Amino acid sequence: MAANIVETGGLTRSYGDICALKPLDLRVPEGEWLSVMGHSGSGKSTLLNLLGGLDRPSGGSLRIGGEDLLLLSEDGLARFRREFVGIIFQQHHLVPYLTAVENVMLAQYFHSVPDEAEARSALERVGLGHRLNNRPGELSGGEQQRVCIARAIINSPKLLLGDEPTGNLDHQSTMMVMELLKELRAEDNFTVVMVTHNQEVATWGDRTIYLDDGVLVREERTES
Amino acid sequence: MHKRLWLIHLVVRALAHRRGRTLLLLAVLAMASSLATALGVVSLSMKKRVAEEVRKYGANLVVIPETAKMNVGSGGLNFGEISEPVYLEQRKVEEALAGSGLKADYSFHLQGALRFRKGDLMVEGVDFAQVRRLFPWWQIKGAWPAAGETVVGSDLAARYGLKTGDTMELAGPAQTVHLRISGTVATGGEEDNLLFLALPELQRTLGLDGRISVARLLVSAEGGSLTKKAAALQPHLPGAKVSEVRQIARTSEGLLAKVKLLMVLVTAVVLISAGSSVTGTMSTTVLERSKEIGLMKAMGGTRWEVLLIFSAEAALLGVLGGVVGYLLGSAIAQFITKTVFAASSEIIPWFVGVSVGVSLFLALLGSLGPMISLFKLDPVRSLRGE
Repeated sequence: MAANIVETGGLTRSYGDICALKPLDLRVPEGEWLSVMGHSGSGKSTLLNLLGGLDRPSGGSLRIGGEDLLLLSEDGLARFRREFVGIIFQQHHLVPYLTAVENVMLAQYFHSVPDEAEARSALERVGLGHRLNNRPGELSGGEQQRVCIARAIINSPKLLLGDEPTGNLDHQSTMMVMELLKELRAEDNFTVVMVTHNQEVATWGDRTIYLDDGVLVREERTES
Repeated sequence: MHKRLWLIHLVVRALAHRRGRTLLLLAVLAMASSLATALGVVSLSMKKRVAEEVRKYGANLVVIPETAKMNVGSGGLNFGEISEPVYLEQRKVEEALAGSGLKADYSFHLQGALRFRKGDLMVEGVDFAQVRRLFPWWQIKGAWPAAGETVVGSDLAARYGLKTGDTMELAGPAQTVHLRISGTVATGGEEDNLLFLALPELQRTLGLDGRISVARLLVSAEGGSLTKKAAALQPHLPGAKVSEVRQIARTSEGLLAKVKLLMVLVTAVVLISAGSSVTGTMSTTVLERSKEIGLMKAMGGTRWEVLLIFSAEAALLGVLGGVVGYLLGSAIAQFITKTVFAASSEIIPWFVGVSVGVSLFLALLGSLGPMISLFKLDPVRSLRGE
């Protein structure tokens, strides 16, 4: 059985009086694709931010890849993010004045050294070999999301986090992106935690957990 | 690609993307540094100009021997004080000048009387090279004298019917000299009634080797008042009196100090205004780019790494603004010196460093506040657009 890459124990996150995530015990084995579903305000994004080291928990324990995130400093968390995590956002968050290949190189810049050949190769893997020098404004939503995926995988992360990555895409683009993620995961064997509203998208995962008002209410395995 | 090269590439792309704001910041920095450059260059040029103007008035300090005085009388009668001619030792004055560290040009003078055509003639021994430097208004009709030659004051020449080319026989207590007149001098002052010959020649003729009657000093108006400089020299010259002779130098010092103060104040006001403008523009930029900053942090950029990118932008703007400011400031300085002083200002290449320094300082200082907020920015909130 694979070791757990994510381990939380009584993990909570509060904002003042509001408790966005109530004590959560979660384990994600290495290589698993976990879908997180729930209504708006159910705590999905809060959980994702905690797993990505973008936010700090209010209580409980949080270990990712054996690293206790609660012990890391601000800059230690930044180093954890660049070494360990790749994030795909719903709004893409591409730098508007950089081309597709430069956006990918920006992630390399923070990780180690920008390498244009590697960045090109990553974009070719996501089917954007012909759009290397286009800026985000010149790309479709689906294409932008594929640049975002290339940027997320360029540093070979162990954990890929998706915050509703298909939320802004039409059905065809959604299917294309999901297919792409499936292929990349099969090749690189990273773990996926993906937040989604879409039941169909959730079924691409191995397992789905359901959050409601910050509480894990249900969990189900996807039948293969 | 090398990390540093990529950083420059990133910074250039970011600045080019926000062309309008970049140009605005560049304009503010260039204006501020150009003013600092212009005022600095004008100030330096003016200092030189004032020094030149002061120079036209000749020596501004004079060293004379303290006159030895004695009471003359007999019995109950007192006829009052008489003074004997007293001299300074040329070597001691030279040593005093070197010892005091005072930067001054000087001329040594020995005054006396020589027999000429059965009468006494007032003569002065000088070093003509020193005279040419210190008293540029001397107008010589004929030529400056060489060895064995003399120049005669224009009034004296008229009185004795002397002209260029004549030879004069002058007798002193120690020897008699024959001098050829190389020209006449007209200054409109007391020099017009004197005869001038080389200092060593007169010293030998009068039997006063190494002695002088007076030393005239031209001290620069820069770096401290004349009174202080005179006071600094005095202890090195016992038995002599160091006095100021020109009010104009003191006035120039005061004027220069006031103009300098005015320039410093104007520059300070401009720099403060420009600094505020930079802060405002940089704050807006950081606010507008908060998502970008959040993204950089989310991708694993540490606070310092993100700060470095934005500091590099400010620094690049500072350097560019400084270079443009130097060129613009030099042109403004040229215009001011032409219209105000009727002279052209110098091009001072090293001032580009000052201009870039001012602009860089402004850009970084003005960005300090926005940089602190950038440092603290929470990636989750900024990515949400909060």
